Formats: sequence, structure tokens, C-alpha cells
Amino acid sequence: MTVTSERVVTTRAARANAHIGKHAQTIAIGVVLVVLLIFFAFSADRFATTGNLLNLMRQISPTLIVAIAMTFVISTSGIDLSVGSTVALSGSLLAIVLQHGWDPTLALIAILALGALIGFVNGWFSSYQNIPPFIVTLAMLSIMRGTALRATEGYSTPIDGELWIVQLGQGRVGGIPVPVILAVVIAAVGWLTLTRTPFGRYVIGLGSNGESLRRTGVNTRKVGLAVYVLTGLAAALAGVLIATRLSSGSSNAGSGFELEVITAVVLGGTSLFGGRGSMLGTILGALTLGVIANGLVLLHVSPFYVQIVQGAILLLAIFANSKVWARFGAVRK
Amino acid sequence: MTGKKAEGVDRVVMRDIRKRYGMVDALRGVTLRVGPGEVIGLVGDNAAGKSTLMKVLAGAVVPDSGEIVFDGQTVSFATPRDARELGIEMVYQDLALCDDIDVAGNLFLGREPRKAGGLLLDIAQMHKDARRHLDALNIRIPLTDIPVGGLSGGQRQAVAIARAVTFGPKLLILDEPTAALAVAEVETVLELIKTVSAQGVSVILITHRLQDLFRVCDRLCVMYEGTLRADLDAKATSLERLVSEIVAHDQIENDRTGHDKTEGARR
Repeated sequence: MTVTSERVVTTRAARANAHIGKHAQTIAIGVVLVVLLIFFAFSADRFATTGNLLNLMRQISPTLIVAIAMTFVISTSGIDLSVGSTVALSGSLLAIVLQHGWDPTLALIAILALGALIGFVNGWFSSYQNIPPFIVTLAMLSIMRGTALRATEGYSTPIDGELWIVQLGQGRVGGIPVPVILAVVIAAVGWLTLTRTPFGRYVIGLGSNGESLRRTGVNTRKVGLAVYVLTGLAAALAGVLIATRLSSGSSNAGSGFELEVITAVVLGGTSLFGGRGSMLGTILGALTLGVIANGLVLLHVSPFYVQIVQGAILLLAIFANSKVWARFGAVRK
Repeated sequence: MTGKKAEGVDRVVMRDIRKRYGMVDALRGVTLRVGPGEVIGLVGDNAAGKSTLMKVLAGAVVPDSGEIVFDGQTVSFATPRDARELGIEMVYQDLALCDDIDVAGNLFLGREPRKAGGLLLDIAQMHKDARRHLDALNIRIPLTDIPVGGLSGGQRQAVAIARAVTFGPKLLILDEPTAALAVAEVETVLELIKTVSAQGVSVILITHRLQDLFRVCDRLCVMYEGTLRADLDAKATSLERLVSEIVAHDQIENDRTGHDKTEGARR
């Protein structure tokens, strides 16, 4: 009888450990976020105002939207470095086609389709041709940035403020900025997809043991391609939001954007080795980056420090990821 | 051929299967037949081609040439799904579980119960069914919601076998199912094999544990360097004979005996 009870105790402990391990990084980034919120609320006068917090969320919305999609990519143990360039290209082309008198709805659909196509190409090379996604998307980063520069000749293209599409970046519904509403909806759908749908299950399975998933009869290549279509689509939408907020399409938009997105995802506890993805963590990670950027500016700290602080926090998160949480069995690789 | 279960339609016949990896001839024309409810022990030294042959049968490897007849129909498998749809299940040597996914999730990987018109996973149903299947197979895993990565080797193997047995296969391929198991767990697996074969499921068992073979197998097929070297009746074969076939000890005195032996490579 002792043996039986010991066995049960062991497995209950195993479950507790597994669950702590699974959520430790999410909890940790949540704590960091709360600490930062409290710190800035007391040190920066205008930080804890509704206006500032909504502004902060609007600023971080494009990052969050792409980070949601990037969580899928990284969970498959992939990476998409081309999202920043896709942001620049989609914003620039949107401004250009609108200047040529395209209908805004048509332009929006065309830009989103272009983003999906860029993602499709990324996914085809990495999933169907087995070329490392780091290389594929690095090449695409260069190609798309170059295309954007060529299309705009380096100049910014203004967007007419009378067009309805500008409301995507600047409008508010019930006082809430439209990008924030979009980001919240996309985050909810992303969470549901990752945790509650067969597709989400296969994304995790692909990153965890792709060969095992393939042997069960799942078309793993299709899953591996689809995640890049998601990031392409999300990056195009982010490009549209940024361009319409600024009323201007610029080929220099979104430089360093991919790193901010990947930082948000990794801060949230999604493993770069795949098999472990947390949508809630990604949301908290993106908000943390937004709070740091916004809070430091309000404290009149040189904006150049923002990147230093964000980088340092990323390094700390990875360190904790591989050293501290390992004792909960959270990290195997 | 070999006695009692040979009459009627064969469950599966693999004819002259060949597979080459670069310079390596993994399979050099292998012919193998399995009857309904028959338990075949597939043995041979390392790199004899056992696993490759079984991967061909499970659709995980596409052969260069050769024919597979399943229940009287000529079939060809491009993916594991094709084989699985016909009722061929394989438990792989390297477990093939996703460590980050929980027990129930692994059990139903690729065919999860769904709701909301197939859009969402029915996670509650999945855990309920997993519990039922594990209990039915006498597999003792108290919790179905912990990641498989946290289980012992024996528990993981049990999950892998349960996954294959659960969906009512016609042909079950087990690649070294008992290699990493404790004694009691080996017994469970052997009992499991007897149970499913009594229900008419054909079983192909790859193992290095020769003592297991004589307890559950009807026939023993010996592979050697990519060919089927011998096809023996398990009831009429001694362990010494089997070992000497595996190591190809009697190449010269090949025709010494062997009323129960066929030259497997040609038909």
C-alpha cells in the first residue's frame, strides 16, 4: 500500500512540476510587467493615466499582432526575420497605390494578400525545401527591404487623411484606438488557435517532434508552411496600421521590428527550440516592451537607452529560461 | 507454406521490395507474407533491414520497387496516413511521442476528438477516452494531463503502444516494443500481443529479445543484409537454430535440413 501511495504522490508532484514548468516563464514575465507598471506609476507623473496607457497599447499593437503570429512560427522551432521588411514594403505600397487612386478596400485586400504571398514563399522554401528558415527569411528580409526602397526611391509617400483606411491607424471606437481593438481580437483568436484547435496542437507537435507528428499522418509540411503565411499576413497588417497611423508610407518603417517581435515572444517563454509556446506570455512580453519604451521616455531618459534596457531584459529572460526554470523540468534542450 | 493460418486470403503480401540509400542496399528484394491474426517475429542483426522493411509497410519509407498486396488489393503508400487508413499501425523503436504534449494528446495525435464542427479540440472528451483506453489495456498511468516528457521509459512505451492499438488496426507493427521495459511491463506487452492477435489482428514483432518471440509468435522471419534469409515455424524451431540463422552461421551447409525453411528472397 505504501508503494501505491508513493506512486500517486510522485505523479502528483510530477504534474505540479510540469505545470509550474509550463507556466513559470509566463508568471515570471507577468511579475516583471507588474513591477515595471508600479515603478513607472510612481516615478513618472503622466504614466498611469488612461490616455497614456491607451497610447502605449496603440504603440505596441503592431508588435503584438506580429508577435502573436510569430509565436506559432517559433513554436514550430522556426523563425521569421522578414517581418520588419514586410512592414516597410506593405506600408510603402499601400501609400503608393492609394496615391494612384486605388480604392482603399481593394488596396487593403491586395496588401494583405501580398503579405500572405511573402509568407507562402518563406514557408515553401523552409518547410517544403528544408532550407533553414533563418536563411530563407534573412534573404527575404533583404529582398523585401530592397523592393520597398526601390518602389519609393527612399522617399516617404503621404496618405490622404480623408480616406477611410486612415481610421485603421488613427480611429477610435468607444474611445479605444482601432489598432488596440484589432490586437486584442487577434490575440484572443491566436490564443484559441494555439491551445484549443488541431492546428495549434500540430504546431506544438511539429516543434516538439516533427517526425512523430508526420508518422501519425499529419501533413507537417502544410502546417510548417501555414505558420509563415500567418506572420506574412500579420506583418502586412502591421505595415498598414503603422502607415495609416503616420499618414505616410515609408520604406524605412519597421527596421529592427523583427527583433522587437522575437524579443516579445521569447520574453513570454516560448522556446526558440520549438514545442513550447505561450500566447499569454507573448502578450505580456509585448506589453513589457511597450511599458519600458513608454515609461523611459516619460522619465526623460534618452530614447537610446530603451534598446539597451530591452536587450538586457531579453538576455536575462533567456538566462532564466535556460538556468532557473530548468529545475522544474521546463527546459530539456 | 506454414500450416494452420495460411489458408484464405493473406492479410498482407510484400513482394520483391527493394530500397537503396545512396551506396547502401537496405533492402535487396524482400518477400514477406502475413496471414490474418498471425504473429510474425521479424529478427536479424543490426542493419539487416528489418526497420526499413517495416517503415515501407507503414508508409514512412517509399520503396524503390516492389509490390504490396493488402487484403487482396495491390496498394501503394505515399504517406503514413495511406497505410493507417487501411489499418496498418506501427510503433516505432524511437518512440515517436511528442514530449511537450500530454498523455491524452499523444494518444490521439493526428485524430483528436473535435467539437464545434471540427474547429476545436474536444479536450475533455480526449482525457475521458484516454482514461478508458489506458484502463482497458491495463496500462497504469494515473494522470493523462502531464506531458509525456515527464514519464518513465516504460510508461512512454505503453503510451506509444496504446496509441497504435486503440484504433482497431488490422496489422500492428511493433519495432522493439520491449527493449526499454521492466519485466512486469514486458509481460503486459506480450499479453497485449496475444490479445490483439486473438481478435484477428496480424502482428509483426521486431525484437532482439529472442525469448519473447517463442512465447507469442507463429512464424519467425530472419533477415540478413537486406534479404529474407529464413522463414521458420516458431513451434518447430529451436533457439540455437534461430541464432545460427541470424548470424548466417551455416551459409555453406545451407541445405542441411529445413523442411520448414524457404528461400525468402524469391517466390
